[in-house]
Amino acid sequence: MSRLDRIVESMARGVARRSSRRHFLGSLGALLCGAAVMPLLPVARGAPAPAAGPAGADPGDPGSCDYWRHCAIDGFLCSCCGGNTHSCPPGTEPSAITWVGTCHNPGDGHDYIVSYNDCCGKASCGRCLCNRNENDKPLYMPFASNDYNWCAGSQSGIAYNCSTARIVGRAR
Amino acid sequence: MRRAAALLVALAPAAAAATEPAQANYMLHCMGCHVSDGSGAAGKVPSVRDSLPRLVASAAGRRFLVQVPGASQSTLTDAELAAVLNWMVRTLSAAPVPAAFRDYSAAEVASYRHAPLVDVSGTRARLLSPARAGG
Repeated sequence: MSRLDRIVESMARGVARRSSRRHFLGSLGALLCGAAVMPLLPVARGAPAPAAGPAGADPGDPGSCDYWRHCAIDGFLCSCCGGNTHSCPPGTEPSAITWVGTCHNPGDGHDYIVSYNDCCGKASCGRCLCNRNENDKPLYMPFASNDYNWCAGSQSGIAYNCSTARIVGRAR
Repeated sequence: MRRAAALLVALAPAAAAATEPAQANYMLHCMGCHVSDGSGAAGKVPSVRDSLPRLVASAAGRRFLVQVPGASQSTLTDAELAAVLNWMVRTLSAAPVPAAFRDYSAAEVASYRHAPLVDVSGTRARLLSPARAGG
């Protein structure tokens, strides 16, 4: 026991010799201050990754149903639900199975191929319902109809949250 | 994997130049379910990446690819459907395409297209059964 005492005592004395309370408080202060400042550093937090988009003008408000990319959409706009035109809100999963259509960009005069990936796994967002359905065909033409719950093709099941509008190509 | 990466690279600047017409028609008529690289969705949509090179190795498989409802009942013309199928075989196949593969022509597509396939799943299973794996 006395041996353990001696070891602890020598360690405590060593620490006392090499350090001071002021130094400790200084380090602690720097640590706390640093931890508080860290989240303020200029990092592109939450900035959307640049998606493939029109090379030229891209007029309109992505949060509006009138935005040109939404010409064939049927659902809630992810831009109003915590996501944006090309990414799902946190906590939802994009369905791999999608409705694909073309929309005319009035900004550069080209037609773009747009993939309306549904975001799945949470209950309906309920904001910015947009139901434009350009070129949608009735269900008796099953390969050209968008009236499906595309979340059936996701791993997280059929709970539908909102729809994105990702540009995947440019039609001639 | 390299093919998938190349496809992603090809898709990324897609908006800059017009998409090649056969690929654009694949996007509009097939990609919704088969996804951009043809891998489908496990348990829901079969991958075409493995089955394409195997099916085009036989006359019956070649006919099947045109007769499946998604192809034969699409709104594509015979020439457009032929171009999409040729693009798919050459671009999405995970294994080497048989050297004997000839491109589909519009006339060939037309000749298969109007003969309906009654038992789609059964025909597919039979064509891709291990007994026929040798092609």
